[in-house]
Amino acid sequence: MKSISETFVRRDTGSMSIDAVTFEVLRNHFEYCCKRMTKILQKTAFSPILSDIMDFSNAVYDADAQLIAQAPACPIHMAAMHFSAEAALKHFPKETLSEGDVIALNDPYEGGTHIPDITFVMPIFWEGEIIGFAMNRGHWQDFGGGAAGGQSFGTHIATEGLRIPPVKIFSKYVINRDVQAIIKSNTRLPEYVDGDIQAHLGALQAAENEFHRAVMRYGVETVRNGMRELLNYTERVCRANISQIPDGVYCAQEFFDTDGVATDDVKINLAMTVDGDRIIVDLTGTDPQVAGAINSPLANTHSAILLALCFFICPDAPANGGFFRTVDIKLPDDCWLNAKWPAPTIGATNVTAAKITAAVWQAIGKAMPEHSVGIPGADTNWFVCTLQGKDASQVDIFSDVPACGWGGTPQHDGNSALFDPTGNCMNLPAEAAEFFFPVMYEEFELREDSAGAGYHRGGLGVRQKIRLLRCGEFSIAIGNTRRASPGMQGGMSPVLQRLVHEQDNGATVKIFGGTDARGEWLRPMQSGYRFLEGDAIVIECTGGGGWGNPMDRPINQVLKDVANGYVSREGARNSYGVVIEADRRTVNEQETERLRANS
Amino acid sequence: MCEQPESMGDIDLKTSWLGATTQAGLWGPPMWNIGIDVGGTFTDLFAYNRSTGESRTGKLLTTRPDRSIGVINAIVSAGIEFDRIELLVHGSTTATNSLVERTYPKAALICTRGFRDVIEIGRQRREELFNPYWQRPAPLIERSDRHTVGGRLNASGDEIEPLDEREIRVLAAELRRQGVMSVGICFINSYVNGLHETRAAQILADVHPECFVALSHEVSPKMREHARFSTTTIRTVLLPVMQQYFDYLTSALSSRSFIGTLRILKSNGGMMNVELARNAPEELVESGPAGGVAYAKFLSQRTGYKNIIHTDMGGTTFDASIVEDGEGLITQDYELEWEMPISIPMLDIRSVGTGGGSIAWIDAGGSLRVGPRSAGSTPGPACYGLGGKEPTLTDANLLLGRLNPTLSGKFALDKDAAEGAIRRVADPLGYSPVKAAEAITKICSENMAQAIKLVLLDRGRDPRDFVLASFGGAGALHAMEIARIMNIPEVVLPTYAGVASAFGAVFMPCRHDLQAFFFGELENVDLGAMEKMYQELESRGRELLAKDGVDVARMTFKRSANIRYIGQSFEVLTPIKSDILRQGKRDAIKSAFDHAHKTEHGVCSPTFKAEIVGIGLTATGDFGCPDLQPERMKQHAEVKMASRPIFFDGEWLETPVYEGIQLYDGVVVEGPAIIEYPHSCAVLFPENVGRMSSSGDFVISLEKTA
Repeated sequence: MKSISETFVRRDTGSMSIDAVTFEVLRNHFEYCCKRMTKILQKTAFSPILSDIMDFSNAVYDADAQLIAQAPACPIHMAAMHFSAEAALKHFPKETLSEGDVIALNDPYEGGTHIPDITFVMPIFWEGEIIGFAMNRGHWQDFGGGAAGGQSFGTHIATEGLRIPPVKIFSKYVINRDVQAIIKSNTRLPEYVDGDIQAHLGALQAAENEFHRAVMRYGVETVRNGMRELLNYTERVCRANISQIPDGVYCAQEFFDTDGVATDDVKINLAMTVDGDRIIVDLTGTDPQVAGAINSPLANTHSAILLALCFFICPDAPANGGFFRTVDIKLPDDCWLNAKWPAPTIGATNVTAAKITAAVWQAIGKAMPEHSVGIPGADTNWFVCTLQGKDASQVDIFSDVPACGWGGTPQHDGNSALFDPTGNCMNLPAEAAEFFFPVMYEEFELREDSAGAGYHRGGLGVRQKIRLLRCGEFSIAIGNTRRASPGMQGGMSPVLQRLVHEQDNGATVKIFGGTDARGEWLRPMQSGYRFLEGDAIVIECTGGGGWGNPMDRPINQVLKDVANGYVSREGARNSYGVVIEADRRTVNEQETERLRANS
Repeated sequence: MCEQPESMGDIDLKTSWLGATTQAGLWGPPMWNIGIDVGGTFTDLFAYNRSTGESRTGKLLTTRPDRSIGVINAIVSAGIEFDRIELLVHGSTTATNSLVERTYPKAALICTRGFRDVIEIGRQRREELFNPYWQRPAPLIERSDRHTVGGRLNASGDEIEPLDEREIRVLAAELRRQGVMSVGICFINSYVNGLHETRAAQILADVHPECFVALSHEVSPKMREHARFSTTTIRTVLLPVMQQYFDYLTSALSSRSFIGTLRILKSNGGMMNVELARNAPEELVESGPAGGVAYAKFLSQRTGYKNIIHTDMGGTTFDASIVEDGEGLITQDYELEWEMPISIPMLDIRSVGTGGGSIAWIDAGGSLRVGPRSAGSTPGPACYGLGGKEPTLTDANLLLGRLNPTLSGKFALDKDAAEGAIRRVADPLGYSPVKAAEAITKICSENMAQAIKLVLLDRGRDPRDFVLASFGGAGALHAMEIARIMNIPEVVLPTYAGVASAFGAVFMPCRHDLQAFFFGELENVDLGAMEKMYQELESRGRELLAKDGVDVARMTFKRSANIRYIGQSFEVLTPIKSDILRQGKRDAIKSAFDHAHKTEHGVCSPTFKAEIVGIGLTATGDFGCPDLQPERMKQHAEVKMASRPIFFDGEWLETPVYEGIQLYDGVVVEGPAIIEYPHSCAVLFPENVGRMSSSGDFVISLEKTA
């Protein structure tokens, strides 16, 4: 039977070495492959942070470890995982690998980013030769260290848990019991380890099957060509998109509230140069490496910049290594975004990456004002909570990620309670949390007035209240307690974030979100914050930045927001100049006109 | 007791098209079994006379806004007296449309304090990973219509805080004042204990008795509030809509002296009594393909193919689902829109946005793409001459000679317009129009194969164990190519492909999928308690089937359990043999689960311990499979009708064209060939060979040597 690939040969072979049909098929094939991996990893994993929250990514690579396709899970993993493959191959050169080998690593200084993210790299063979790699990276709940989940916020990477250099965890599909044992004896949750390894392996094997299926149908040369063309294709699309952006240098600054050690905020200074069909992102002027746990290794910084640009220059084409070719990144040597051993990095993938993304989006907003969007809340609000178990031998650890809002856009209001652009994780359902852990979720609702006002307002953040039925510790690092994300085109900033400890007797203590009773600013990084049985923790998330002047927002939309409880009457008056009566249904038109005229 | 017609004479079993009045008008007992499928565009009818074996089909335009008028029209046009109808099985898109278009009366939700926004927040995920402008679909019930009340149970079902009854009373009065006619009650942890929801419903009924009420623990007694609240919301908004629809329909029927049984198609591949359907309208969403899947099941009984892929190609989408050992494959992960799950067992139907109207285009990277944008029926493909200028799949098929240029004499297609449109993509590629057209058809076949890939490979099934059945008008143009892509050895073109859902409806079983929350570690779970729970579900199933009018002798019950490894969050639906619990075979349950886990996910670990988190029961009332014989030529005759040049794999081949209705038993047709039916058209590629089976279905093998 004639295969489709023989049917068409393009006349202008200069631009593509395979026909249009095969190209389209292979593009779909690799995307499907990653989706299948995602489903297996999610449905079979043991850690709730993998199965319920979906903090993981799956991807396939060509034989040179260039990203071919990735599944929609965590973008912050997108442009960081090929560094894992490079590190893995440095330790285990290609010629030493066999079918069924899997290399695992989590070392931030050898292919990783922060310790909880463990990466599995599997070479895929065809007739004795490596034709590609399947990889997945999952955020495991705990690798030991000074606090659960690595959130010790110390000044040395060693406080954040077990650092695994590239090791062969499977040889020819057989697990290395020594490695498995070391991992299990260095975590607070050994019961998850075997099941999570099975989940990672199941997904990798699915990718292996899918690669083989493609090769059997098209032949290995066509598959190789297909991967090469996919990279070229994405590069062409991105270059065409970049060319649409006016040439120039667009600058932005972002700050993270603290490194957890000093009280100063920490600066990102970003200059984005658009030069024809390429982009140069230069971080010169960014603060040097800091003592605290927010430093970002090079792989993570690259990934954060690229994922942020991806939204605007590669939204439709497969986000792969071809896109990476169109962006050059310049990092100063001594820089908190170019971390060197032994700097701690636990905050890199969440708080730091979110701020890098926000800086890039600000620069994009200056380069393309008509396509700008209000900056999202720029935080993942990832917390880790340890609860003393039902008996002394048992410790429960759980995480959740209450979301901020996204920014308003030229077309519509921002989405409320949507995970930060750096990831695409789910919340932990209240019923799952209460089923698995000794907690009560008392509130998980949109936080009134949390969005930045605008002609198109931002989305709202979440207000979450969790009652803890046993004593334990709470660890979290968040930003947006000094200043919140900017709006665009006259849109306003949203509210600040807060974390409150509500004691059993009803007394409340602000953990952070401004200053304490003595007027001292509270550093929003807390490791091992102690609470007692029956206490509650309240997290109040920020919203997204607004887009356009809020005084121009149609009055009936403001009224609707008040009726729906997205905006309070005070918010309507102060931010939008719209006066609404106590029934929340009627507008005081005279008063509104007066307020808006004076704005 | 009943008067039987003396003799039907020497009747050649006959298929008569719309308006035919062959045997109607004979006095006698109700004998007609009728299936009616109301789709977005057409209302299809299939009728079968149990006494004479006669069958009739019909296709009319769907009437809007009241779709029940079209149902009546279809029966009238088929010339069937209403008092001669024994059974009317009806599938409708009314529920789906009302959700998609948000056309339902004002409804409200009452939630646990602190959980007003569960249906709006969803799970905090975005559908498009890298689109900064993506917008989440609007929630089905607006925030101002979502209310919260005090009262709380914990995860064990114990009361932590009593229900605030006074608050509910006040709220109920307010809802009544606002004219809200349908309310969903969604409380946290009600999946373990529905007490608070039930009590709230009683108060609501006291204060506002005319109001419809949906309780989340009745809709879907499963952990994780989002899916349960979402499903309850869907029931809430649909209750008044479907009530009105069924009121119209039943009164229209009874005013025409209809005395038969009316049953409704469900999304799980079965049907139910109309009274049950009124109360569980969420089970009607996406029930359209259920009839087609029932047809596939019928095929499987008739032809002996155990595993069938049911495919249906329309103007904008292509659907695929599978029938395995005579049962449609079920999923519990269906989403109506992004993060809007319907958490009940439904047929696992996967769709891709490829159909006859799909538009071909060149993207920014210079690559040829087809869809998901569609020209629909207005302006339609360029060749329809209704103003469409963009190249569509239909234009491509016409250019390649595969579509009859006069659509079998019904409608002249404009080939020049098609060619002009195709040039829009051919020129930039440096392709000739036919070459571009062939590329378009191949890309579409590949896209459609994706849907099959999703439904098969995602669920761990091997395509080589299946036969592909092609339903819908345009499907058979691509079926062979899709089969080739997926390595599926054979394709079946069923006789009634054009009215598949209506046909399947007539031969469908009644089916109820019941679920209960049940938790225990497999090692020490009380098997006796589990057995008792299954028996309770069985007696509920028996009750429901009795309401459907099913005899006890025809009832069957299949047990299943949601099981996972201890530590996992997600379960695998595992079949549980009925005697296994009484015999105390824990190991057999474990190995059944290991096996199911391996099938779904490719891995399993017999050494890991497992736990049960829910049980399910499928109660089925099967009415058997009649010996239906469609009309076809009995004797060998010269059936070749004509020939025309068709473009295959880069060259024009003079290709014979057959009329499907003339193909006799056992006739073999070698590819290349075209087979034209009144409502569809099949393409056999040069390497294919087809054969008319004794069941009247045309079976095509991928390769002649096979």
